[in-house]
Amino acid sequence: MSRGQQQRRLLPSYLATGSSSLPARSTLDSLTALRATGVPPASYHTAVHQRVVRLLTGGALTVIEVAGYLGLPVSVSLVLAEQLVSDGHLKATVPLPDALAPSNAGRPSKEVMEEVLSGLRALLV
Amino acid sequence: MDSAPSSSDPRPVYLPERDHRRVKILVTGPLGVGKTTAIRTLSQIPTLHTDEVMTDAAVGTDDLSLVGLRNKSTTTVAIDFGRLTLPGNRVVLYLYGTPGQRRFLPLWEGIAHGALGALVLADTRRLDESFEVMDLIEEHGLPYAVAVNVFPESPDYDLELLRSKLDLAPDTPLVTCDARVKNSSLTALVELTAHSLSLAGAQA
Repeated sequence: MSRGQQQRRLLPSYLATGSSSLPARSTLDSLTALRATGVPPASYHTAVHQRVVRLLTGGALTVIEVAGYLGLPVSVSLVLAEQLVSDGHLKATVPLPDALAPSNAGRPSKEVMEEVLSGLRALLV
Repeated sequence: MDSAPSSSDPRPVYLPERDHRRVKILVTGPLGVGKTTAIRTLSQIPTLHTDEVMTDAAVGTDDLSLVGLRNKSTTTVAIDFGRLTLPGNRVVLYLYGTPGQRRFLPLWEGIAHGALGALVLADTRRLDESFEVMDLIEEHGLPYAVAVNVFPESPDYDLELLRSKLDLAPDTPLVTCDARVKNSSLTALVELTAHSLSLAGAQA
């Protein structure tokens, strides 16, 4: 359905070119999933950066879960994630690939909502 | 924050390996109305807690001009959240418990973005406290459903009377709910999702 969207690069080009400045507005979402790529943290990374990478070595978690597990505010977790993604230590996956379509304005599509509805009903006993 | 790595970090519950969507639902309402209880009842992972900090540092990146923050440089808002993987591992639901007071408006911009909708918990003993949060949600254009959390000592109202007291639109779902009971809380989410879906259908 939206496989093309899923392959989209998550970072704007000014980060991909190696600029060290942070974007004014976050490119990640609190539900962006993160996972360690296997590229070990560098010597200039702080202890918190290293804890983030270590946490995400065993599997994927969202930005807000990283905040919850490491006791960080969501905004700090977002900044750390952005730095580590742009340096290649973490891989990011968008929460709802089809929500990137302009018609959805970031909201779940009807198809996704239908899946939520049937999934919730299946949990009712 | 710059503390040494500790071994006390709780063991994380990782996301499903297979490709899935992650959907956010807000659970909101006045203080002490049962938001955290409902999230704990529904979540399949131990609920987590985080703080969102809004400081002067956000000026220039976030629009704080609307906000009643003139006399305050830092505001901390607690978010409790839980996670619920739906059968089939294709959708993972996140339930964000957020306070509904207007002073948290800037936080709402980020939190409301992309959400399927909001479940507003209400207490019949203080229905008026629910108006503020319903206003906030309507301003953000989020679909919502109201779940009246039944407390043992709360007066018994019939739903039609509650609907008129809350001044709800005819199509806004209104259910009673016991936030401690899984089926009851799930039913409230089902009502909300069906409502969001019908609104999406009406727009298409």
